[in-house]
Amino acid sequence: MVDPHYGGAWSPTPFLKAWDDYLAASREILERLKDPSANGGGSIPLPIFGAWQDFANNLGMQSDIDPLAKLAPALGWSRDYQRIVQRMLQIGSQFQSSYADFLKQSGDICERALQATRRRAAADPRLASSPVAAYEAWIDSAETAYAQAAHGEAFARSLGELCNLLSAFKVERGKLLDALARHLDIPSRAEVDSLHRQVRDLDAAVRAAAVRPSPDKAKPRKARKPAGK
Amino acid sequence: MNDDSAAFDRFLSDAKALHEQGRAALRALREIGDVDVGQSEKELIYAESKIKLYRYAPLARSLGLPPLLICYAMVNRPYMLDLQPDLSLIRELLSLGVDVYLVDWGYPDGADRFTSLQEYVCGYLDRCISVVLNKNSADALNLLGVCQGGTFSLCFAALEPRRVANLITMVAPVDFKTPENLLSKWVQHIDVDLLTQSGNVPGELLNLLFLALMPFKLTQQKYVNLLQGQADRAQLENFMRMEKWIFDSPDQPATAFREFVQWFFKENRLLRGELTIGGRTVLLKNVTCPVLNIYAKNDHLVPPSASIPLGAHVGSKDYESLAVDVGHIGMYVSRKARTTVPPAIANWLLARR
Repeated sequence: MVDPHYGGAWSPTPFLKAWDDYLAASREILERLKDPSANGGGSIPLPIFGAWQDFANNLGMQSDIDPLAKLAPALGWSRDYQRIVQRMLQIGSQFQSSYADFLKQSGDICERALQATRRRAAADPRLASSPVAAYEAWIDSAETAYAQAAHGEAFARSLGELCNLLSAFKVERGKLLDALARHLDIPSRAEVDSLHRQVRDLDAAVRAAAVRPSPDKAKPRKARKPAGK
Repeated sequence: MNDDSAAFDRFLSDAKALHEQGRAALRALREIGDVDVGQSEKELIYAESKIKLYRYAPLARSLGLPPLLICYAMVNRPYMLDLQPDLSLIRELLSLGVDVYLVDWGYPDGADRFTSLQEYVCGYLDRCISVVLNKNSADALNLLGVCQGGTFSLCFAALEPRRVANLITMVAPVDFKTPENLLSKWVQHIDVDLLTQSGNVPGELLNLLFLALMPFKLTQQKYVNLLQGQADRAQLENFMRMEKWIFDSPDQPATAFREFVQWFFKENRLLRGELTIGGRTVLLKNVTCPVLNIYAKNDHLVPPSASIPLGAHVGSKDYESLAVDVGHIGMYVSRKARTTVPPAIANWLLARR
């Protein structure tokens, strides 16, 4: 085990790999969310969290992070990083579960839409001979089924959970990135934020000074009597 | 040949024709390349941070009205109001003799992470209004607030009533918690503190949220319709301009976004008279200038029920509303809105000169 604070064998490669995988997986998730037809159900078959496990290993954590290891207390020189990675793994598990629930709801919506389209096709023979009419019927049925579900509490809660979990993951990822920035001697987000705050404060002070009348102008000095008079 | 097989043959034949049309449309789309937007001539008259204030070049003799300042939303780019010469709300207003100014919020970045709503409304917008007033030696201007910009404009008019001669709100939300407001229902479950903890909110995320309001129509049908129709080059260019605008979503500055979602969407403070910006309470009853509230009947983003309550809350004795039979985006670019909205605005302003 090597303390990253003191150089040596610690390598950013696993982190960069985890980062690349994360970006690729994020893109895939966005694509899936944009195209509900691509969601066949089930959890995400992507290495979104696996590479983070490799990164955790690189920090000296257990090589195989099982549920027990996730619950183990963070110990040793890398305990701060362990906590972050543990938190990311927990969020990952929660995300998998929430996303499966979301996909199930999406699947139910598509099922209801298909049933509605079938009913329309049975009532309107035009749909059997016109792909345009059939497609319009499908879109209309799908939007109706979707709107019913989307206005419901369960769907809103599920969407909110996914968004909150991704936000939480992003916060933890930010902590790791800040640590990496420190090791690479480049400005961290916290340092940049601090600078932005200072610039803003300065800007506000300059603006306030510009509108405030100067003491000289506010209180014109009385003309001094000429000496000796 | 029985009826079923005849119908199936027609289906196959239509599908083949659609396939060919689609290929032709794709070829035509590829040839279009990049498209121009926001082509009306304008002059930059003030800039601060990412914010730019423009004045549009007149296209007709002036009606002699106070200048009209357009305050657009931060979540999209304002060139939607000047998408192309024949679909431009701004151009129509100019042609009618209105002197048009526009606030462009730009593309916020990390430096704007801590910029608050107070700074946007009481800082940037306030200073832009001062510039327009000074340039025209006027005490008050006409303010046109669009979508989220309409909400900002209402806040400003409530805080600074003497500097707004007439207020026009367009597809602007006022009541953020009506049953038809799907976006609001979703937002109630989002932890906005957590969302903004790691910085600005990516424009792509908002885009995804907007697409998710009607996913089948917005991510499938509109493309299929384009491919199956026999659009000419002008129509394809118009489609590409719309496409460019829809996905040109600036990141949202974290602090201002958090405040907007928390105060407006979650707590509905504006309607309840509990909104405070910069230590000053924003009361709609303080909006005493004439108000024209324009809303879209088929708006999926800002449903009519979110805009209509304005009349019951403003202090103005001169309040009018105009319902247009279009959707949210149709309000800016549809032929119907083009022939209805700009003349309605110009005539309404003329009547209050």
